Amino acid sequence: MTQTVKTKVDPFTLEIVKDSLIAIGDEMFIALAKTSMSPIIYEVLDYASGLTDAKGQLLTQGNGVTGFIGMLSDMVKQTLKKFGDGKLKPGDIIIINDSYGGGGSHLSDVGLVLPIFYKGELVAFSANKAHWTEVGGKDPGSYSNDATEIFQEGLQFPCVKLFNEGQINQAIVDIIEANVRFPDLSLGDMWAQVAALKTGEKRVVELCDKHGKDIVLSSIDYLLDHGEELARQELRKLPKGTYETEGFIDDDGFGNGPFKVKVKVTITDEKFIADFRGSHPQVPGPINCSYTALVSAVRAIFLAITNPSQDANDGVFRLLEVITDKGSVLSAKRPAPVSIYWESMQAGADLIWKALAPVVPHRLSAGHLLSVCSVVLSGVHPDTKEPFLIVEPSVGGWGAAEGQDGARGQFCIGDGETYNVPVEVAETRYGVLVDEYSLHTDGAGAGEYIGGAGVVRSYRALTDNQSASITFGRHKFVPWGINGGKDGSANKFYVEKVNGEVDGPYGIYPRYPLNTGDVIKLVTATGGGYGNPFNRPVEKVAKDVKNGYISIEQAHDDYGVIVNPEMFTVEGVTSKRHQGGE
Amino acid sequence: MRVATDIGGTFTDLVYVNENGEIGVAKSHTTPPNFEKGVIDVIEKSGIDQTAIQTFIHGTTVIINALTERKGVKTGLITTKGFRDVLEIARGNRPDLFNVRYQKPVPFVERYLRQEVEERLNYKGEVLTLLNKEQVKEVIAYFQKEEVEAIAISYLHSYVNPVHEIETKELIHELWPEVAVTASHEVTKEWREYERTSTAVFNSYVKPIAASYVDRLHAKLLENHTDSQNYIMQSNGGTTTFNSAKQTPINMVESGPVAGIYGAAVLGDIIGEENIIAFDIGGTTAKCSLINKGEVKVSTDYFIEKNERNAGYPIKVPVVDIVEIGNGGGSIAWIDRAGSLKVGPQSAGALPGPVAYGQGGTEPTTTDANLVTGRLSTENFDYQVDLEKVKSAIKEKVADHFDLSVEDAALGIIRIANSNMLNALKLISVRKGHNPREFSLVAFGGGGSMHATALAKDLGVKKVIVPVASSVFSAWGMLMTDLRHDYIQTYIRRLNQVDLTELNNEWHSLEYQALMQFKEEGLEKSKVLFTRFADIRYLGQEHTVKVPVPNGDWTSETISVVVERFGNLHEQNYTFKLEGTPTEIVSLHLTAFGKVIKPSMKKLEFSGKAEDALKESRPVYFEEQGWMDTKVYHRHLLGKDSKVSGPAIVEETSASTVLYPGQTLSVDEYGNLIIDTGVE
Repeated sequence: MTQTVKTKVDPFTLEIVKDSLIAIGDEMFIALAKTSMSPIIYEVLDYASGLTDAKGQLLTQGNGVTGFIGMLSDMVKQTLKKFGDGKLKPGDIIIINDSYGGGGSHLSDVGLVLPIFYKGELVAFSANKAHWTEVGGKDPGSYSNDATEIFQEGLQFPCVKLFNEGQINQAIVDIIEANVRFPDLSLGDMWAQVAALKTGEKRVVELCDKHGKDIVLSSIDYLLDHGEELARQELRKLPKGTYETEGFIDDDGFGNGPFKVKVKVTITDEKFIADFRGSHPQVPGPINCSYTALVSAVRAIFLAITNPSQDANDGVFRLLEVITDKGSVLSAKRPAPVSIYWESMQAGADLIWKALAPVVPHRLSAGHLLSVCSVVLSGVHPDTKEPFLIVEPSVGGWGAAEGQDGARGQFCIGDGETYNVPVEVAETRYGVLVDEYSLHTDGAGAGEYIGGAGVVRSYRALTDNQSASITFGRHKFVPWGINGGKDGSANKFYVEKVNGEVDGPYGIYPRYPLNTGDVIKLVTATGGGYGNPFNRPVEKVAKDVKNGYISIEQAHDDYGVIVNPEMFTVEGVTSKRHQGGE
Repeated sequence: MRVATDIGGTFTDLVYVNENGEIGVAKSHTTPPNFEKGVIDVIEKSGIDQTAIQTFIHGTTVIINALTERKGVKTGLITTKGFRDVLEIARGNRPDLFNVRYQKPVPFVERYLRQEVEERLNYKGEVLTLLNKEQVKEVIAYFQKEEVEAIAISYLHSYVNPVHEIETKELIHELWPEVAVTASHEVTKEWREYERTSTAVFNSYVKPIAASYVDRLHAKLLENHTDSQNYIMQSNGGTTTFNSAKQTPINMVESGPVAGIYGAAVLGDIIGEENIIAFDIGGTTAKCSLINKGEVKVSTDYFIEKNERNAGYPIKVPVVDIVEIGNGGGSIAWIDRAGSLKVGPQSAGALPGPVAYGQGGTEPTTTDANLVTGRLSTENFDYQVDLEKVKSAIKEKVADHFDLSVEDAALGIIRIANSNMLNALKLISVRKGHNPREFSLVAFGGGGSMHATALAKDLGVKKVIVPVASSVFSAWGMLMTDLRHDYIQTYIRRLNQVDLTELNNEWHSLEYQALMQFKEEGLEKSKVLFTRFADIRYLGQEHTVKVPVPNGDWTSETISVVVERFGNLHEQNYTFKLEGTPTEIVSLHLTAFGKVIKPSMKKLEFSGKAEDALKESRPVYFEEQGWMDTKVYHRHLLGKDSKVSGPAIVEETSASTVLYPGQTLSVDEYGNLIIDTGVE
């Protein structure tokens, strides 16, 4: 019966149902942000939600960040593995964050999975995954840059039922309440996630009511095939061959490192293979990532290269293959700590980016800040006397590319539709005063196209006994330039104490103590440049000086342009530029 | 006589209503860059006695054009020390997730024109560092040297205490009276420094443009002996005086489009429909907005140039909530790389336009599909239509790809376009927890009535209303507006701890501001009506729900009522409420209407049978039934109470209503078409 229906459905109905599925994904995504309790969810949008088919193949995913792309399917597949043979019932919801068993990222990202039944038959899953501000563990904010085992990183939910046929499992709720520092936030987020999943369920059922189950299932196949076809066409346009490169991850938070990582990318008409074998084994500190996390990062850069239209589903990823050694820093095994896993997963993606940037210049750029540049700051609010907790990523500089300067002050590729916290909001809610939030125009990343500047964000503590845990990767190995463009600069932070002492720079630092009047100055990287700086038009260089993006000395030394310090007009070029440029 | 003129991309529309309630319309070409010429042209074309115009209401695209075409003036920005880059860092977000070549929206003020001065307040509005006036003077001198034409001032926490912004503005006035100035607290009193700075910059950027435009228009009106009360349509669905419009021109950013939405609410009030989905299809876009219990929803979550690729620019002024998508009559049908049919957002525009126009268009559009399926006839066009050419465009570009007949391909285009529009309609209704069965769809704009009947059926709406003069309905809406000002003040307080005296004072202060502004505009206190809202959330959430709240002094009982209303709205929007979780006010929102006398709608004087209005019969291709012989009626000949059964088409100037088999249409006492969609 299904077979005959498939051939009878007209192409427009398939298209309309397909669009409806994507719209359902969007709706679920927005519903979660609007009701969440955690800034990391509603400002940073550190969550994802979507639909899979009955086999766990991703159909549509709404993303706030790129880091979760494809992680939902692993949660569903784990659910099927555990409850597959008839143990799933309508009204069940599964909770899962186990990094090694379907969770993929770190314990802070809590996933929920809801099987969708239509007239008793399992037809799809709705799933979401969101960064809870708190899941317990040894440090406030849960993710820790000096954990040595996963057991220090919070509560583990190993794919268990949070709801049984519509009835909540109160025992789990009580356990969460007893184990996390801000239970209202965590449970508030949990309810927001449940509501969003149910919205997805309701809409899929409505879609089946309207078009019939068989047509919806046919449209699902159509959607996946459509995605694969789009990706295949793009793949065929890429230069075939093998591209190798290597790089380094700074350290693991304990001073170990740097750790060498390497990739061999093979592109054929049918496959895009990223082989990371030979990269460093897993390490004592929490920068390890699971295989699933690495695959997500690779998927993000694969989409950047092949699929600018970003309707991502598992059809698109059928062409992608990721190979690693078991137990490597890019594919860690239990019980390795993984709290700040994004440092290594993004290092993996960055390798592919770096290997292909010279051959796919219309889609890729020079290196960027790369690190999420995570800031966790806790303390007590001076007026309300209530504890506060800042958990936020930082913006920094992006790499320049063929035809364009790098963006200034943007979140890294691992983030996405992520919003910084406004100064006025931060000062109201937290016990800090922001002394400065401005571009860090250090003039690094010189090139025909300039790397984007990072920023300076300075928090002045307004109470004693505040504690800052900073995780800034790319502190030692800076963003790379290409085609003759210069490298960018490092992510780093300093502490300017009230007694005038300055401490730093540091990259990764757990629990730095701050007292009233101490200032923590967070400085992010400038991206790499593109092309020979001598090829940057002289008028542009003069304007850069006038705008304060580069200094008059840099104009002279790096670009070979002599600029009048009063009028910012071009007075000539250096002999070096004269010889080496144009 | 009351006259409204509305400048659109192609045409400038005019609608008037005289003392007898008689409505007249006229259209003439829009005349960029001297838009006021088009306004005078259309007044002349309408043939009205210009000295008899008592009230003149104007909707204009001058502001939005100046912004999107970057035609504003050179603007300087003054910020708190340490924060001049707020405009460039913005929020750091990237809707285009997987694009590693993402480029941020370019700031409207270059970095060398973003200057800092020493001053600082904390979040409570207490002064930590006094304003350094010497630095302000230096900045002024620098801006003079750089030949800046407008200045924006934006300091941290000025929404709580504007003292330093006021001092700075006074100093500028003293030293450089000619330059246009905007202090951020004058345009928005909400927190979030980037959004407020952006709004202040935009206001300054367009201020000289707006002033010169309004002055030119006013001079032209006076030249023609029109001594009218003059108003400009604002984005909040109300009007303001010419003078106020010059001060805060950014409030006109959506001047035209919102009038149609507001008009739908007014029409609903007249004919007894309080739940309405307003739906407008033009040449390049479709717009919709939901009106719940007569209330047009206004918010400050407005952006320009924001889409799935671009972060856009925020403008925190009150704008009617409109969802707009790139699907109009001129939207192009195309096959994507993997072979799926798409419609829009690219549009053939007015030139070359659809293939049917014969002006060089080669890409099939929604209008072409409507022609091939018989929804439109060749006589509906101002141009000589080559039907074979239209068919062959659809055949080559769409039908051959799917190995389908031309009419099936054309129907496919209509269905995909409808599917896009349906998603927009769902977004404002079902997805916000509203049941479409409880709403009527008011369809207007050139294409609204052609697609509304099919969409209503899919959405589950029982009744579609096609108003009189539906193709110039936005201008009609303007005729029916009141003066309106919105005052939004960020005021973060937990509801269980709120100091009632302080809260009541805050409301009174907003009302006082409103009365003062209306007084300045020459409106007496008795004509002013207040409506209050509060933006509320559960403690810990970020996003708020706008809750209608009572007027007058609040007591502890009022607080309970408000908390309960919030809980119910939260549940309606998001499917759940959190009993017992503390709630928090984020902003107080006062809407002040200055009531003016409006015309009443004239009733239709004749009644009759539908047969008298019959124009012809022609074949029309329907989704389920295929080709059907379909009767076509002249709208202007349809009398009161006449009834038509589908399939049928009702034609009027610049619009056609399509009635599907099983649907019925009747004409109400004012001449509006009322369609029963057949939804149970």
